[in-house]
Amino acid sequence: MFSAPDSYPIDLPTFHSEINLPYTLTPGRAAGTFLAEVKNRRIVASRFASGQVVAPAQDFSSTGGEEPEAFVEAPHTGVLTAFTRVDGNVIGFIRLDGCDNDFPHRILADLGDLSIGQRVEAEWDDSVEQSVLAIKGFKPAPDAPVGTVQPLATTEEPLGVIPYAMKLDYEHAYGPYYGRMFDEIRENGRFMGVRSPGSDVALLPPREIDDVTHNRTGTWKACADTGTIRGCSIINMEVYGQTRKVPYVYAEIVLDGASTRMIHVIEIDSLEEAKEKIKPGTRVRAVWTDGERKGRVSDIERFEVIEG
Amino acid sequence: MALSKVGVVATAQTEFRPAWNNAQHIDLISSVVTSVFKGSGLTIDDVDFIIDSGSDVLDGRSISNCGFLGALGAHHKEEARVEEDGLWAALYGVNKIRSGSSSVGLIVAYSKPSESNVDLYWNAQVEPFYQRPVGFGQRAANGIQAQRYLAESGLSTRDLADLVADRWAAAAASGKVSIDDLPDADAILAAKEGAAPLTELMFTRPVDGAVAVLVAREDIARRVSRNPAFITGMGTSMDTHSVAARDAGRLSSAVKAADMAYRNAGWTSAEADLAEISGSSVIGELLAIEALGLAETGKGLSAARDGKVAINRSGGALPADPIMATGLVRLAEASRQLSQPELFGGGTPSRAIVHGAGGVGMQNNCVFTLEV
Repeated sequence: MFSAPDSYPIDLPTFHSEINLPYTLTPGRAAGTFLAEVKNRRIVASRFASGQVVAPAQDFSSTGGEEPEAFVEAPHTGVLTAFTRVDGNVIGFIRLDGCDNDFPHRILADLGDLSIGQRVEAEWDDSVEQSVLAIKGFKPAPDAPVGTVQPLATTEEPLGVIPYAMKLDYEHAYGPYYGRMFDEIRENGRFMGVRSPGSDVALLPPREIDDVTHNRTGTWKACADTGTIRGCSIINMEVYGQTRKVPYVYAEIVLDGASTRMIHVIEIDSLEEAKEKIKPGTRVRAVWTDGERKGRVSDIERFEVIEG
Repeated sequence: MALSKVGVVATAQTEFRPAWNNAQHIDLISSVVTSVFKGSGLTIDDVDFIIDSGSDVLDGRSISNCGFLGALGAHHKEEARVEEDGLWAALYGVNKIRSGSSSVGLIVAYSKPSESNVDLYWNAQVEPFYQRPVGFGQRAANGIQAQRYLAESGLSTRDLADLVADRWAAAAASGKVSIDDLPDADAILAAKEGAAPLTELMFTRPVDGAVAVLVAREDIARRVSRNPAFITGMGTSMDTHSVAARDAGRLSSAVKAADMAYRNAGWTSAEADLAEISGSSVIGELLAIEALGLAETGKGLSAARDGKVAINRSGGALPADPIMATGLVRLAEASRQLSQPELFGGGTPSRAIVHGAGGVGMQNNCVFTLEV
């Protein structure tokens, strides 16, 4: 019922990894129009056939799914309906005058000065365009007159796309098996796998449980840094995220003593020569980096063909 | 032809720790997949399919389950990933067996939030044009739920802290959750602000770990398990993505999910003996208790602490939230409490309610009923 993986302290820090994802987000007609119109200091809202008005504008009702019949202009004043504070920033729901939904936004006041139902008013930030943050936030405005929703005869063209980036950081744990494998690469410049259950060939990378039989794997075994190509492709196209200049060969190499394929690269000078020499069955050897080994697959700079 | 009945044959889980620094996902997964068969007489060869839950964003790789198939025991088997809490993976698996297409299924959920930034994980789920830029996300949604709940119910943050302290103490007593310093109510109140009026300790604590649940058709379950808990009702419902457009003060989608499950089961919350419930904060747990019909609106606290139905004897999600696995852990905990009451203070409990949730402000809810 209660279990824990085989584990012991590993002399390796976690493996830092970053994922950087570039996006071009498409806001669509409603959000695109809202974002285009903030430079005119207008809050674009959607009016539905039911008479409901939703601000900021939406292409669909978030509850019923129906499409709005028109864009309208919402007033800059409203009522605070809920609030909280996260990392020192006060965030609240604002019901703009004449609207039927709550607009989440920043509240420009101390938490202690706020109460549900109090009047608020938008404060604009002239340095910001094409963002909901052109409204810097909403500040208390006890005497602000109640605004009304106004028709919008014409609007700016909606923004087509918005460049966006998401960056995610990770600290991956190696675990006992990958931990020893990378430790051995760094300390001894060798590849250690574990034996398949009941066999002398090694699984690389090593693991506690064999993928195919789901039985416990065997003892550790050092593999050679020579091997045989079992699959390859000449890469001569640049794609996002590549770490080497093309052309090069992507190769799946079975190291001598192992049963599993390791992915690495072979550098080439000539496409024609590569096509001739590099194919399944070709024997290769690892070329280790000259510098200090760091305990990574990249401690092998590349593989090269064993001539003859 | 009547649908097959499905029972929980066995469960396994790792210890839940703030960080499993010396293990990677596959180490945690293969450990529970190996353990879940112990004593059952079944082996991985008897398993017809595997459904797993995890998050690509938390795992830091896309379609992360593809790298975990070997550890899952899924080699050359039917396998599917559910990108939602593991309780939905169980729902999928149970329906496969009920339909008659399979007889034994393995449900696995795993989480290593220690490897990434949980705030960014939640941020990725928020609408990017209107909400993400202003900082509205999971914590703000819970803070707003809490502010409204306290205003409506008349409870104080001290009342909340007392419940959180109870939950941590229960988790510590269970021995399944790693806790270095057990916080008392004062420490919970004094913790850093998470989202006013909630402190960080009034939110769930993300933990690393994995859980496996073996489910089987009734005849197999009765053959291999001494007193299997049977899944007699399931329901799921998703609310609108816009937190501001949801009903204030109640989890409407949890109400609907519970209604669906109780209709299947033919009984309601008043007849349950125990419940294992998720919640992204202490307020989320109270809202879930009320949505499941275990208390009137605003009265969740007394039901949570000493109601007729034993709620979250495991400690629930507050001290241990392996994000994406939390609901499946509730299923594992509840099924063990029904099947092996000797290990939980005795008695003869016969009915349990299980609840899982996903999304910002608990947008998505899933409810199971279990019976022995």
